[in-house]
Amino acid sequence: MALVINKKNRIIFWIFLIFITLIILFPIYWIFATSLKTPIEAIKPVPTLFPHEPTLQNYAGVYKSGFFKNLFNSIFVAVASTTLSVLLAFPASYALVRFNFPYKFKNIFLIWILVVKILPPVVLAIPIYSMFTGLGLVNSLWGLILVYQVYTIPYCIWMLFGFLKSLPINYEEAALIDGASKNYILWKVVFPLTRTGVIATTIFSIIMAWDEFLFALLFIRTPALRTLPLVIVNFIGEYETLWGELMGVGLLTTIPILIFSSFVYKYYTKGFSMGLK
Amino acid sequence: MKFVKEKNGGIFFYMIIAPAVLFMIWLTVYPVINVIYLSFFDYDFFSGTKNFAGIENYLQVIGDKLFQRAFLNTMVFSVSATIAEVSLGTLLAFIFYRQFRGKKLFMTIVIFPMMLSTMVVCAVWRILYHYDIGLLNYLVSSSGLEPVGWLINKNMAMISIIIVDIWQWTPFAFIIMNAAMSSIPSEIFEAAQIDGAGSFKTAFKITLPILTSQIFLILMLRTIDTFKLFGKVYALTQGGPGNSTETVSYYIYREGFSYFNMGKASAASLCVLLVIASFSFIYIRQIFQED
Repeated sequence: MALVINKKNRIIFWIFLIFITLIILFPIYWIFATSLKTPIEAIKPVPTLFPHEPTLQNYAGVYKSGFFKNLFNSIFVAVASTTLSVLLAFPASYALVRFNFPYKFKNIFLIWILVVKILPPVVLAIPIYSMFTGLGLVNSLWGLILVYQVYTIPYCIWMLFGFLKSLPINYEEAALIDGASKNYILWKVVFPLTRTGVIATTIFSIIMAWDEFLFALLFIRTPALRTLPLVIVNFIGEYETLWGELMGVGLLTTIPILIFSSFVYKYYTKGFSMGLK
Repeated sequence: MKFVKEKNGGIFFYMIIAPAVLFMIWLTVYPVINVIYLSFFDYDFFSGTKNFAGIENYLQVIGDKLFQRAFLNTMVFSVSATIAEVSLGTLLAFIFYRQFRGKKLFMTIVIFPMMLSTMVVCAVWRILYHYDIGLLNYLVSSSGLEPVGWLINKNMAMISIIIVDIWQWTPFAFIIMNAAMSSIPSEIFEAAQIDGAGSFKTAFKITLPILTSQIFLILMLRTIDTFKLFGKVYALTQGGPGNSTETVSYYIYREGFSYFNMGKASAASLCVLLVIASFSFIYIRQIFQED
């Protein structure tokens, strides 16, 4: 903006910037700092800003509690449910973009999955729970992967639909003239051309599955099968005083996702916001 | 779309869309029908007894003081968190709408809160809010005031959860508004300045009107998301103290999975579904207009 910025304004601006950054970063710093405090220091009535005797004992405790098993559960569920969703959603979105289905099927389907995305998941939880109990899919990571499709398929279809819509048809026509089969065109021509969109969709879908809590809470009973959000909630409930270990788990849960933050920033600012939540 | 018009060309497209459609039918259509069916029965999940109850469940749910309270709580949370996030996000976007050193770094930092897992966010705020050892109460008492029962005072608990949501999601509103504002051609501002408009006048008369559709979009997205509120309540207050933070999602969860009152929980689910459906109608129309 072509605002005239004088010196006084600039100082106020920088103070403001630092203030905002502090509010954003402080809780994150607190996770880190508390995870390095001894159990006694963590529950001092006068909180210490820095750990006075930094220790890794919390991380040792986290390791002993079987954290890596749970980390593996989370990674497995997030990656597998995203892979399944993209494999289902990519061809489906392509069909929606390139084929005229009769009876306004395209709009009905898109609205239907949008409503699913809007619904609080607990609304579907009761029948899905009894259905999955009957199929023996409760208390299993496979069950979790299947039920996450409720969130991830609608999300992936809306995202990929947007990307595929902006893809010019020339490449496909050229490939068709060269005698390529439709299946070949879909996976060997269109898929590589929309890889940016596929990567963005995959990242956001992984973050979504990583964060999912409700179905994990309902479905998983065995501690060894818990995903990380469940581990954290159980930590809060059961050992209220082990703040250091809790924050250790929190930090370790965050790091794998923060790796994506520069990608996420890029896609947010490009305005792919509509499908995001 | 010439190349799909050939004979039998359609079969391929039906085949590639079928798996996703079948999956969604299995996971959403069947459950919704089941919820409608169950809502008319008195159904105990464990004993398996199922008796037709007519609209009894609906009368019970609608007449239930706790459900009314849960609905009100959800509305309060949803409306105040959404309005706060969108206005703060827009305000920040105005303030940071300029070039400054380290802007890119700042923008990356800003998205951290919304990348954190919600449960991690809840865990750290639970420490900050802790009555005896929390940093916030330490700051409050050292300024000579009475310590605040952030999560244990029934007038305060909802506000505390709203604050956590604002911390986590204002960045979302900010990033979207920032991206939208930077796509406004700068000539417009220059013209306004030549015409002698001050910066407040420019903001209210020019920038905000241009951004109406983006503001509407974020309002919608945040309303939808906040209406689902469950995890934060579960982790921070478990609906307490005294039902003051119980939301509709939490109510359904409790009825269905703690009391195993599946019929009543289904009726409550359906009430929520109807409210959401009527609300999302506005949103869907907007999205299809933009398409």
